[in-house]
Amino acid sequence: MMSETDGAVLCRKLLAHVRADDAYVTVQGAEAGHLRFAANSFTFSGRREDVRVSVTVWSGKKKGEAVGNELDDAALEALVREAQAIAAVSPEETEYVPTLGPQEYRPSARWAEGTAALDAAARARVVSDMIGTCEKDKVVGAGLHRSLAVVNAWAGKNGGAGTERWTQASLSMTARTPEGDGSGYFLRDHEDATKIDAARIARESVARCLRSRGGTPVEPGLYTVLLEPQAVADLLTLMRFAFDARRADEGRSAFSAPGSKTRVGERIFDERVQMRTDPWHPDLPGSVSSDGGLPARALSIVKDGVPTNLVYSRFWAREKQKEPTGGFVNFIVESAARPVSVEEMVKDTKRGLLVTRFWYLRQVDPRTLLYTGLTRDGLWLIENGAVTRPVSNMRFNQSLMRMLAPGNVDAIGAAERTCAGESQGGSAGLYPALKIKEFEFTSASEAV
Amino acid sequence: METTRRGFLYTSGAVVGVATLPAWVLEREAAEAATLDHDAVAAAALAKIKTLGGGYADVRINRYRYETLGSREAQIRQVERRQTFGMGVRVLVEGAWGFAASREVTPRAAERLADAAFEIAKANAAHQRRKIELVPTSKVAAKWATPCRRDPFEVPLADKVQFLLGANAVAMKVPGVGYVESGLMFVAEEKFFVSSEGARIEQRIVRGSPWLLATAVDRASGDFQARQSLPGPRGVGWECVEDHDWNAEAEQAGRDAVEKLKAKAVEPGTYDLVLDPSHLWLTIHESVGHPTELDRALGWEADYAGTSFLKTSDVGKLRYGSPIVNFVADRTQAGGLATVGYDDDGVPAQRWHLVKDGVFVDWQTTRETAGLIGRKTSYGCTHADSWGSVAFPRMPNVSLEPSPKPVTADELIADIKRGILILGNGSSSIDQQRYNFQFGGQVFWEIKDGKKAGLLKDVAYQSRSTDFWGRCDGLGGAATYELGGSMSDGKGQPGQVNAVSHGCPTARFREITVINTGRGARS
Repeated sequence: MMSETDGAVLCRKLLAHVRADDAYVTVQGAEAGHLRFAANSFTFSGRREDVRVSVTVWSGKKKGEAVGNELDDAALEALVREAQAIAAVSPEETEYVPTLGPQEYRPSARWAEGTAALDAAARARVVSDMIGTCEKDKVVGAGLHRSLAVVNAWAGKNGGAGTERWTQASLSMTARTPEGDGSGYFLRDHEDATKIDAARIARESVARCLRSRGGTPVEPGLYTVLLEPQAVADLLTLMRFAFDARRADEGRSAFSAPGSKTRVGERIFDERVQMRTDPWHPDLPGSVSSDGGLPARALSIVKDGVPTNLVYSRFWAREKQKEPTGGFVNFIVESAARPVSVEEMVKDTKRGLLVTRFWYLRQVDPRTLLYTGLTRDGLWLIENGAVTRPVSNMRFNQSLMRMLAPGNVDAIGAAERTCAGESQGGSAGLYPALKIKEFEFTSASEAV
Repeated sequence: METTRRGFLYTSGAVVGVATLPAWVLEREAAEAATLDHDAVAAAALAKIKTLGGGYADVRINRYRYETLGSREAQIRQVERRQTFGMGVRVLVEGAWGFAASREVTPRAAERLADAAFEIAKANAAHQRRKIELVPTSKVAAKWATPCRRDPFEVPLADKVQFLLGANAVAMKVPGVGYVESGLMFVAEEKFFVSSEGARIEQRIVRGSPWLLATAVDRASGDFQARQSLPGPRGVGWECVEDHDWNAEAEQAGRDAVEKLKAKAVEPGTYDLVLDPSHLWLTIHESVGHPTELDRALGWEADYAGTSFLKTSDVGKLRYGSPIVNFVADRTQAGGLATVGYDDDGVPAQRWHLVKDGVFVDWQTTRETAGLIGRKTSYGCTHADSWGSVAFPRMPNVSLEPSPKPVTADELIADIKRGILILGNGSSSIDQQRYNFQFGGQVFWEIKDGKKAGLLKDVAYQSRSTDFWGRCDGLGGAATYELGGSMSDGKGQPGQVNAVSHGCPTARFREITVINTGRGARS
């Protein structure tokens, strides 16, 4: 495995070859391993080691980029020449911003030896035990155990340079009844593979599977919904991309307002809703660097229901005379008030639906952040303060802006670390359970 | 197969000045091509596995090249060339897979990877419940390459820049267009495959994807509408640019975006739909392509992509659509994104029916899945998106056959009292067993009394796969047939992408539920 020093040395070698006026280079070394299982047996498994070297140069304002994965001196030099040759024949980039000078990076604890050192035998034992749980409970399990160890190094011609290393492991399982009339899912991730509770993941997915069997349809329409943290992660992960300042200023975003304005400063969400990013959060450490080596920072995006900041790239910040913010290095959604447990939310619900997971979420209308998608792996009816029966899955069409609007958020739970199911452990965040007064389901699905 | 294209230094055109641009890190690549003996590297891995006592094994040594250009309005924002080179070793030990891959491609690295793959397989074998078995395939020694009229990697960068900025300028000239983004992406896969059964296959696979997006903004009301170009990516060379009038496409995209700002919002209800191939390909992909993947029906994708509403017992019995509906899987189709000579198991590309006269008749299979339903051979649907990815079942080109009669789109429209013509693909979503779906589009024409009657907006339709295809009562002839497709269909864990095409004629569907998606769906 490449070290941070190796990465920094490679960056310096690359910069030494640069003849262009400005340059930004990155080196990423990665080792990944996985074991996939389905139908209560291992299916695919492997490990991969790779390096990604990128070179961006500017001759004047003409930019060229080249990316490769070969590391000997001749290859590095050739990659730089390639980028310079592209720049030589490219038009001027009017959005060029000079690379950064020296920067200070406050470290973030993202590396765990337990993940980097995970071997095939240990991984096989963990997954085999999960399959054992499925066999005991007479369900059919499928899932993925994956781990990743990464070293990043970056450097610019104006002196900015840094390194970091990080690990990530994730484990998911879907349990299904042999008859196909019940399905449950559970996913967790962590920097440290040894801190992922595989037994809990197996237990939770099997429990959801057994509780969901034999669901029957309810009429689509407006429902009060209790969204478990997994369902909230599935939905709100998508919202991060909407906070781009440039698109809002250009009038083509949900955060654009009539008259060439934005909605920053307006109370457009429930006053308890907080959204932020924080590279040093103890439960969710994020990258120390973003946007061309700009040091990542803790940033409030929504405070007390009011968008407080949009995300400014270095170019757009210069255009608008703002501070560049960098992007999201993680996503934290939480309540300004006392968190409410899912049990309390259920007890306080006359009629509603309990949603464990969403699937195949796609944006339908960027003006309102209207998304469509379906419930999956467990949907239950709540009546008079109790979960009464499983129901069949349904498709929704719901604006996220409207979902979080004042008056539509009934309760917010404690934030838990999880990630969107569709990103397979690649977008960790802290997400609470949410109770939403009105959420629109538009059609029924037979899928289990 | 050629592994280098030494010696085509060229001079760029007038648009961006004069300079020479060496292609693809030429010196480095040429030196490597001269010294690297792919056969020796692969032989080292296979010999090591034999020594260890492994069973079936294969070695893939691949180079992937990507060229990506991105622009907006009058500026080029990105010109990137990327390549990745490496090898993957896969071995079956006591019915369990092991796989190891690295960017290092030397005989010594090959032995190390063989060791690592064997160790993983051995560790897994101790816990393996179902022993993996492969159906036989013929021992192939072959070379294959995507037919290209002009290799896109040999087209001067200046031509590509001129193409994008030219199209952007045309769209920006349309009054009311505020923003235009466009791009080009070209991929070349140079693949070398050797197996312990004696296969040796070299392939060069090329794909290209031009695109454009025009946006119109009404600052006063805060409304905005966008329209994406309609032609899809294809498994061809520079002809994906040359064979279409992109300036006309850009102008029409601009006009449609502006027109959509004042278009009538659709009234929710039941409509007859006429679906253009630029739209219908995605519906085919989701509602036919994925459900007929055998691995999904076996539960192998249960944790991510999902399973299928089809059961193994449905073959030859389940009515998928009306009797005029015929779907063909085809990895030999000209211009198809999933068109290859051989799959990543070394199985020759094939063509076969999935749905015949409206009845589900067959699956997409691999060497690993075919035997599980009693088949003796594979249809060749194994694919890995990189030298570093595990090969697994992926979709071939899946296409709807046209009517044998020369039916036109206008003839399909003429028979509709209240309907919508949809062009281009928009938002799409389908459940994990592929029953319930919802699709948007780019351009929606209201059809009244057999004629197009102005644009609509905020349209999406919802249906159930077999109901939908059962309501197909009209197909265009071969003249209306076009290929659409995706460069990046996601599936698998860890996620991989697959490039796949879907051809179809214009087609008509009766009484489909349409919803209004505007302004949060409930306004």
